[in-house]
Amino acid sequence: MPLRAIPKTAANPAPGQPVPDPYPYPPTPAFPKTVATGPRGMPAHACMGLNSCKASDRFGVAGPPIPKSSNGCSGKSANGCSGGGGTGPTNLAPNACAGQGYCSTATDHTCHVQNSCRDQGGCGLYGTDEELNRPGDNECRSQGSCATPINAERFSTNGPNQRKSVWLRAREVFVEKWPAMRAELLEKQAKGELDSNQPLPETPGPPPALFAETGPTYLWISDDNQARGNMTACGSSGMSGAGGCS
Amino acid sequence: MGTPDPITPLTPAEETFVAWLDSNSTRDQVLAELKANLQTAIEIELATIPIYLFTYYSLLRNNESGETIGDAQLYANKAGGVMMSVAVEEMLHMSLSSNILFAMGVAPKLYGKAPGHYPTPLPYHNPVGPPGPDGSTAVLIPLEKLSFEQLWHFLQIEYPEQWDALPQDRDWQTIGQFYSYIRCLLRTKFVTDADFQVGAYASGIQPYNYSPNNVDTVYPAQGFDPWKPAPPAPKPGWADADSGAAEVAQFPDDEDSHAGQSELLCVRSLQDAAEAIDTICDQGEGCPVPDVGPGPDDDPSKDEESHYVKFLKLQAQFADYAGCSEQLPPEPPPPAPIAPAITQDELIAAGLLCDFPDNPVNADYPDGYRAIAEFNSALFQYMLIMTETIYRVPPDRQKLFFNEGLHRSMIWVMDKYIRTIRGIPIPSGPYQGKVMAPTFENVDLGRPAESFARLTRFGNAAIDAANAIAEANPGGDLAGSMGNVVYYIGVALTKTDGSAPMHLPDVGPYWVGSE
Repeated sequence: MPLRAIPKTAANPAPGQPVPDPYPYPPTPAFPKTVATGPRGMPAHACMGLNSCKASDRFGVAGPPIPKSSNGCSGKSANGCSGGGGTGPTNLAPNACAGQGYCSTATDHTCHVQNSCRDQGGCGLYGTDEELNRPGDNECRSQGSCATPINAERFSTNGPNQRKSVWLRAREVFVEKWPAMRAELLEKQAKGELDSNQPLPETPGPPPALFAETGPTYLWISDDNQARGNMTACGSSGMSGAGGCS
Repeated sequence: MGTPDPITPLTPAEETFVAWLDSNSTRDQVLAELKANLQTAIEIELATIPIYLFTYYSLLRNNESGETIGDAQLYANKAGGVMMSVAVEEMLHMSLSSNILFAMGVAPKLYGKAPGHYPTPLPYHNPVGPPGPDGSTAVLIPLEKLSFEQLWHFLQIEYPEQWDALPQDRDWQTIGQFYSYIRCLLRTKFVTDADFQVGAYASGIQPYNYSPNNVDTVYPAQGFDPWKPAPPAPKPGWADADSGAAEVAQFPDDEDSHAGQSELLCVRSLQDAAEAIDTICDQGEGCPVPDVGPGPDDDPSKDEESHYVKFLKLQAQFADYAGCSEQLPPEPPPPAPIAPAITQDELIAAGLLCDFPDNPVNADYPDGYRAIAEFNSALFQYMLIMTETIYRVPPDRQKLFFNEGLHRSMIWVMDKYIRTIRGIPIPSGPYQGKVMAPTFENVDLGRPAESFARLTRFGNAAIDAANAIAEANPGGDLAGSMGNVVYYIGVALTKTDGSAPMHLPDVGPYWVGSE
């Protein structure tokens, strides 16, 4: 059921106003509101750049809706994967392999302990030091913190990452745990539980170039502030960087 | 950040009292008194939680956000963050006192132990205190929306113990003096480490369940660019030069404001018990300065103000503060008025304060609305039962139980439920024209073993009532609010994720055969 916003007085300015002008992401595919079919057997993940394999993002195996000729994906990134690796705005990294995906494959959730599976916690808003320092790295259902996707404006409220970007920390954690995750996936691949052509490079590829240094901004997620309901994040202080839930 | 607080040494008055206890008591008397007073301490801490939460939920914290936030909204957001930061620590204090009592072999009692009516005295609080803004000396704490007077009532709760005050367990003047009495009992010759090794250490409420800050304790110091990514990400070319949310965030609780190794701690020694009591006293009333009195901060690193100072500074920004005749203690010195001054009328005019009825009771809500109000009371009681249940959960399952029980009920059910019902106008009866406010009554959920079923009955009654109101008022905001009432009750009682439950746990299996 959609959540109803608390009625606001007419005197209040619209949320998010003023909005940066011009919109800085015009060539970028719009934030995908639903999770498309992904590859068989791959783990769910919490946000952009935290995926384990090719096509494991919200665009799924169909990929983002961008003509191949315009996105530079014919090149090779430093880790040997197709696409990505560049920094220019036209070199939009498609989800060619681990670490290069757009957004979470996990079913979105908005709050602490509302996650339904491993590695689904977005973190930053509620939780203990330990939880908040390991965004996207929770053991199981009900053990993850906070909303997905992890918007770029979100900061940790506790622990060693206090006041710092949750997404950047999530990416650090992902890169750190990738060797173990990769070993697990290679084992599955050897058993035939994963497609044999699924690339599992030693190092994860870069996130989509426009977001590589920040993570997914709420400006992009909300489609230039036009669709603030594309994600919600808990909290009453208005400081989560995304639309709060009522 | 800094090192944990040292244990505060006994004052001369406390040393005298310990000597008296050693000479005039028996071990059995001291232990019995210690256990009884710890249960009272739990009930004092518990009593504060509905009071602070009620006022907290009267505030709309983010009608305005980002660059366009005005002074009234900044104040409302700050007041909310500060109140939540105190409420979080009251929950910590309740847990600490519970852990000490549990370690002594006594199951803490919370269910049905909240105040029975409002305005309320706190357990064994002296009913006469210093005069308030209106000259009254009565110590009766109401459930009311934010006002200058309500902040005075908060100060009545947190009034700081002055240097070398007498320990008091009856008619206590400050909570610090009540805990001083407990501290003295702990320091008698009769109490040993073994007295805190009766309840299983691993079954206490573990440190890993506590965090001092969350997105609701945080508030902005000023306006900010809501689109700016959090540091250390570089500022994108399109972002304003203004600070982003992360840069202006204020964190009213600090992680080192405690004695011992952690804020929340389990107990198996006198030292552990002393550290727990020290944390409670310092956070509430300020770290004592020998021969002077309570300081304004609760930790030597001076990153966190005491509850008393937090509330006094909120009061000092009210226009009513200048020239007010309320009697404040000499230590810590009261602050000068804080600008920009605000008034309750300004908060109301800006749409930042819900028009709650004062001291509402379920019985005075109109038919239908009553069942919706009662569910919040039932949920509150179930949260207390879940807290008692933690001590019965196998230690290796405590984390999951705490997350699925306490965190889910506080953050995802009660918070959203109250924020939903406060948008519902009351159509008739004594509260006509106001909006629904939460009640925290000691409704009967039966024995803990059957309490989830009883909670479900309250929930079903509220769902039926909400659906009936929605049907009678199709479309529009009221029907939408009723839909949300139904949704959040479902989150509490029936939500699943495919085959797995995502609702509150049924505590019954932990109690069957043991009541």
